[in-house]
Amino acid sequence: MVVEVEGLWKTFGDVSAVEDLSFSIERGQVYGLLGPNGAGKTTTLRVLMGLERPSRGSTRLFGSTVTPSCSELLHVGAMVEQAAFVPHLSGMRNLRLWWEAGGAHMRDADLDGALAIAGLGDAVHRTVKTYSQGMKQRLGFARLLLGRPELLVLDEPTNGLDPGEIREIRELIGRLTSHGATVLLSSHHLSEVEQTCSHVLVMNHGRLITSGTVSELIGATKSIYVEVDANERQRALQLLSTLPQVTAVQTQGDGLVMEMCDGRRSDVSAALIAAGVHLQTIMPTQGLEDAFLDLLAAGDADDAQRQHQGSAVSS
Amino acid sequence: MIALIRTEFIKAARRTRTAIIALLLIGLPTLIVVAINARGDRPDRGDRGDGLFRLASQSGLLVPAAVLSATSGFLLIVIAGTFAGDAVASDSSWGNLRYLLMRPVPRGRLLVAKAFVSGVLIWAATILVTLAALVAGVILFGVHSATVPGIGGVAGGFELSTGALLLRVVVATAYVAFGFSALLAIGTLFSTLTDTAASAIGATVGVYIVSEILDSISQLGVARYAFPTHYLGAWETMFTQNTYSADMVAGIVVQFAYFVVFGTAAVLWFQRKDIRS
Repeated sequence: MVVEVEGLWKTFGDVSAVEDLSFSIERGQVYGLLGPNGAGKTTTLRVLMGLERPSRGSTRLFGSTVTPSCSELLHVGAMVEQAAFVPHLSGMRNLRLWWEAGGAHMRDADLDGALAIAGLGDAVHRTVKTYSQGMKQRLGFARLLLGRPELLVLDEPTNGLDPGEIREIRELIGRLTSHGATVLLSSHHLSEVEQTCSHVLVMNHGRLITSGTVSELIGATKSIYVEVDANERQRALQLLSTLPQVTAVQTQGDGLVMEMCDGRRSDVSAALIAAGVHLQTIMPTQGLEDAFLDLLAAGDADDAQRQHQGSAVSS
Repeated sequence: MIALIRTEFIKAARRTRTAIIALLLIGLPTLIVVAINARGDRPDRGDRGDGLFRLASQSGLLVPAAVLSATSGFLLIVIAGTFAGDAVASDSSWGNLRYLLMRPVPRGRLLVAKAFVSGVLIWAATILVTLAALVAGVILFGVHSATVPGIGGVAGGFELSTGALLLRVVVATAYVAFGFSALLAIGTLFSTLTDTAASAIGATVGVYIVSEILDSISQLGVARYAFPTHYLGAWETMFTQNTYSADMVAGIVVQFAYFVVFGTAAVLWFQRKDIRS
C-alpha cells in the first residue's frame, strides 16, 4: 500500500474536521478525494503529509507511520493548497533552494524534466512575485516533480485559476498519471476528478461517505439508459420489464430508461444479447456530478435522522 | 545542515529589506559623526551616552562606542527583532513553510538553521554599524589615544591608548551583539507562534520596550536585574570608568539564560505545532 489511513480523527477544540476516516491507495491508483468546501479534505492531506498531528488514528506512507518530516516524504511530491514560494527570489532559485534545503545536490534532481513539464520557459528566471497564480501552480508542479516522486498529493490544484490555466493544469496532471504515478487528488471540481481519476473517495462533514471506482460511483445510481436498434425497441422493453432486477422501464427518445433495484448492468446486457437484441448503448443516466450530489443529499439526510433520533432518545 | 543554513542565508540576504538595513547601518554612523563634529567640545551634561559623544571627538576610535551607545538602545533592537521575529513567520506568511517541511526538512534542524542565520545577521548588523562608525570616525577625527575626564560626577582622569581603545571597541561590539541573544530566542519563539511576520517582530520589539520601561522603575529593585535589557549598556564603563564591569558578566549570564529557556521553548513548540499556513 502506498497510502493507508486508519480511523483518522482530527479535532480543533470541539470541532471535528475529520471523523473516523479510513482508506487506502495501492500503487498506480489515481484517487480523487471529493467533497464540498469544509469536508475535511485539506486537513486529511495535511495530516498525511505530517504537517498536522492526528487527534486519533494513524496515517502511513509506503508502510511507515507518518511523523513530521518523516523520510517517506522524500518519495512524495505534494502541493497542499496553493503553490507558494519565496516571492523575492526567481522561480529557478526557489527550486534550487527548496531542493538543496533537503541536503541533496542539484545534480540528483530531475530539473530538466520538471521544467519541461511545467513549461515556464524563460519566466523561470523571473522573481516569483511577478508570476500569475497559474504560473505559480506550474512552478509548484516543477518543484514536486524534482525528486521523481512515487506518490503525488495534489490539493485543489486548479483552485483560483482561469479556464485556460485550468486546462493546462489538467493536461499536466493527465500527463503525470499516464506515466503510472500514484495520485491522490483533492478537489471539489467534479469534472476534474471524473476526467483524471480512476477511484473516488467522497467526504462530507469530515466523514467518508463512499469510495470506489468512478464507474462504480456513477453506476451505483439506479437509472440506466439503454439504446437498441429501433425495430427491436419494443421487444427490449418487454424483455427488460420481465427482469427481476428492473423495477420500471419506459421509452425515452431513441432509447429506454430503466430503474434497477439490484444487480449489475452487465447482467442486463447479457440478458438482452442472449435474447438476440442488438445492444448499442447501456450507461447510467447521470454523471459523477449527479452521483456526488445524490450522495451528499443522502448523507445529510442520514445526519438529520441521527440527530433526530439522538434528540428523541435524550428527551 | 550547512546546505540548509546556506539556503536560509540566501533567502534572508537577498531581501530588499536586508539591503535597506545595511545602508541604514552604514549611513547612520556617518550622520552621527557629522553631528558630533558640529557639536564641538561642549561641556559634559552628565549622562553616559552624552559623555561618550563628547569623548568621541578626541579620537576616531571612540566613535564606534558613541554610535553603539546611540543605536543599541532602540535601532539595533528593532533590527535584531526584525531578523529574529521574521525567521519562521515570513516563510509561514508566504506559505513556503509547509513546502520546506514536506521536502522534508526536520523541524528542529530548520528552526536551528533559521535562528543561526538570524543570529549571524544580528552580529553582522552590529559589526557593520561599528565598522561604519570606525571608518567615519577615523576619517574625521583620526587615530589618537584619548584622555577621559570624570563624567557625570564619576571619578576619572585616565588615558586610553589606541591599542586599548581598539580592543575595547572589539569587546563592546561583541558584548552588544551577544546582548541580543535573549532577543534572538524570544523573537524566534514568537516567530513560531504566529504566521504573520509583522506580529512576531512587533511582539519581540515590544517585549524589549516594556523591559526597558520597567527597568527604569527603580522601585522594582533586584527584579530589574533579570530583565533582558538591564545590562545592555554595561560595556560603556570600559570607556567611561576604565573598568570591565562585573555587570558585563552578569549580562552575559542573563542573556545566556534567556537564550536557553526561550530557545528551548521555541524548538519544543515548533516540533509539536500544527502547520496550518
